[in-house]
Amino acid sequence: MSTGGNDGGHPGPDYSNPGPLDGLRVLELSDEKGQFCGKLMADLGADLIKIEPPGGQNTRYVGPFLDDKPHPERSLSFWHYNTSKRAITLNLETADGRRLFRQLASRADIVLETRPPGYLPALGLGYNDLSADNPRLIMCSLTPFGQTGPWRDYLTCDIAHMAGGGQMASSGYDPEDAENAPPIAPGGGNAWHIGGHYAYMGILAALYWRDMSGQGQYMDASIHEACALTTEGAIAIYLSTREVVRRHTGRHASPDNSVKIQLPTKDGGWVNTTRSGTALNPARLRRLAEWMDQYGLAQDLLDEKYNDLATVQADAQHTTDVLANFILNMPQEDVYRGGQERDFPWGAIRSMDEIIGDDHLEDRGFFVQVEHPELGRTFTYPGAAAIYNGSPWRISRRPPLIGEHNEEILCGELGVPREQLTMLAESGVI
Amino acid sequence: MSMPRPLEGIRVVDFTWVRAGPWAARWLGTLGAEVIKVEWPENLDTLRQNRFTIPEGVEPGPNSTGQFVDTNANKRGISLNVRSERGLELIKRLISVSDVVIENFSSRIMQRWGLGYDGLKQIKPDIVYVSMAGFGHTGRHHYYGTMGPAAQALSGLTFLSGLPGKPPAGWGWSYLDDTGGMYGAMCALTGLRNRNATGRGQHVDLSQMITGITLTGPAFLDKSVNGRGARREGYPPGNRTVWPGSPPTNNYRGPTVAPHNSYRTRGGGYNDWCVIACYSDQEWKSLAKVMGSPDWAGDSKFNTLKGRIDNQEELDQGIEQWTVTLEKYELTSVCQAAGVRAMPVQSSEDRLEHDPQLRERGMYSEMEHPMLGVWRFQNAPYKLSKSPAQMRRPAPMLGQHNMEVFVDLLGLTPDEVKEAYDEGILWPPEMPMFPYMREEVASL
Repeated sequence: MSTGGNDGGHPGPDYSNPGPLDGLRVLELSDEKGQFCGKLMADLGADLIKIEPPGGQNTRYVGPFLDDKPHPERSLSFWHYNTSKRAITLNLETADGRRLFRQLASRADIVLETRPPGYLPALGLGYNDLSADNPRLIMCSLTPFGQTGPWRDYLTCDIAHMAGGGQMASSGYDPEDAENAPPIAPGGGNAWHIGGHYAYMGILAALYWRDMSGQGQYMDASIHEACALTTEGAIAIYLSTREVVRRHTGRHASPDNSVKIQLPTKDGGWVNTTRSGTALNPARLRRLAEWMDQYGLAQDLLDEKYNDLATVQADAQHTTDVLANFILNMPQEDVYRGGQERDFPWGAIRSMDEIIGDDHLEDRGFFVQVEHPELGRTFTYPGAAAIYNGSPWRISRRPPLIGEHNEEILCGELGVPREQLTMLAESGVI
Repeated sequence: MSMPRPLEGIRVVDFTWVRAGPWAARWLGTLGAEVIKVEWPENLDTLRQNRFTIPEGVEPGPNSTGQFVDTNANKRGISLNVRSERGLELIKRLISVSDVVIENFSSRIMQRWGLGYDGLKQIKPDIVYVSMAGFGHTGRHHYYGTMGPAAQALSGLTFLSGLPGKPPAGWGWSYLDDTGGMYGAMCALTGLRNRNATGRGQHVDLSQMITGITLTGPAFLDKSVNGRGARREGYPPGNRTVWPGSPPTNNYRGPTVAPHNSYRTRGGGYNDWCVIACYSDQEWKSLAKVMGSPDWAGDSKFNTLKGRIDNQEELDQGIEQWTVTLEKYELTSVCQAAGVRAMPVQSSEDRLEHDPQLRERGMYSEMEHPMLGVWRFQNAPYKLSKSPAQMRRPAPMLGQHNMEVFVDLLGLTPDEVKEAYDEGILWPPEMPMFPYMREEVASL
């Protein structure tokens, strides 16, 4: 792997060390709401046991599927969100299922659960029940609205959170780009990402405090609150001016009509040219103009009058128009890289077609090969956002099959006699 | 507020600026760490210059922007010229008594100051160092710059959002500044936990742009495993799960269902919209009933998921004829009472003034700020039962805590502090001081 010059010259992550959460046992009782938070912990070295209902968690039935063949072991969505985990099946609505779960919880560090508020306490599996056996336990309930409040029991899904959290009110189109367009919910299932990131943060804070105090605790996390926190300046703008932002195509929502920065390219793409028209000075404009001139597209921008800052600023609209015309005559990737090489922090609007195989990502070891032995195939997964040089992030195993670790954990660890597995399966416990 | 703070005793040297970095350190402060923000007024944090967030009637200036005041809450602040020899020496003294160093400069700035990881660990062997450069410190394009929107574009997030046949709508804010910020805090917390377990610090090399790619997993695997790119007919499908007439490939938000869309509500205002989604035939039946069982909804073609997807335009038009008769909160309430997933599209004003859930949960709390008066701050979205996140103070004014840090913490004598001011180490000599600072310096 080429490092392209690592900071301080250190040699890259030390793979002789385990991940930073090594030695922590996490139980995950979660659907789409918590599987991402679980993945964050599992890839960082926690020993995470996913507890699914018999037949598998519902997230195994979300597409896309491998080769478009729907099957609970072929969901690519499930695959992504469940790397590095082990899995057992357990029906918590049976007495035996509850007993086994309590046994597991008595030796766990963290329980992460996303059941409706009140569901686990009604089964005798709430924090008070579980911490009685294990006062060091940290239990995080990550739910749509938290455990209290008038909306506590409301049903949601990703787009419902994008609406209630304010993401949609900030995202959409300038009227000239799409007339009468609705507010647009950004895609990708980000309600669960936003909730998962904040839940991870709270869990780690609880862990740190446990290291200091010896005590576990309960954590009530709300996806709605996490989303409501995640619209950057919209809240501050309202508090400061009592103005609500308006939606613009591919750039910040704002109270005014800001300059367009998402510019189309020759090959049908777009480049985000953040602040290109307004932050220019004579030196930067000249750098741009010389580049455009190589393609005969600089128009008058090499004129001497642009050696004057006031002129550059006064002609910002003209400069933007010339730039837009240049970009319209260039391929997306060339504009992006050419701009960056000239110190313009631009971004190509990439799809996976351009991202997979990117050389910088390759340098960072971002593309991770994960073997699925039962399929006899190896697939490329997305890697880590952050390189932990002293305690590496890694995908330690492919996503688990349904009940794959029942025997290993129930028999090997909890001491359930092997011959009882059949009975437990027949009676719907596992 | 007598409850313990989870990061009590942790000290963070915060070199961050703009949004992602400051947001990261803000959460460490909210969790109880002592965060010291290092600034130099000649390279003013751009959030201190945010013209949209200076309230009318407040004297404009770097201490007066609402966006800075919340983004940098729960920190103390010093002004220090780290580019001077004496300034660098002072920052090293501060690092030597700290646990975390966090920064979001371009990739080689800290090294130039001798404060790359090798330098930092000589000063403090178990330091947890979190760098948050756009492209990270490793990799051939480490020097590429990103603001949130460009990072979103490059990570594939922008492409996931919009209507088919239109330019991407993208994200109407710097989502990757928010996410980069959360991630920065997560990296610091994880590094601290690892330090507790092993006694070792480390350099965590975060890339803001790449945080975005990790949020596109199903789309990524659809390409790397199935070979299906996102540049395809009918994608992205706006607020639907599949665009009418297009193949029903998964859109990476969740299951493919209908109805699943935004609808206008009564009032016709800019944000008078709601969303409704039915995840099962039963939920659709419940919605039809809530709508008063109109004739059109009784048509058997809507009984099945396939039928609802095949007739999605008609379905959505029918639903909207009903939603425009109700105000968005009322609509949410009647749908939810019937077990139908619905929510209002909420603006910033809605969240601050009208959302009963956020009000009940205490999402916003008030603190007094010297320039802005009583101001509302955003709380953590989780409640820790024994050691909660707590709002402690608004963002620092420039150089507000110089005395606390240089005298009380680092033990400089008043004469040494005066000398540092005189030499332009603690404040640019040609720049007028704020009154609060002038008084302090005069008393030395």
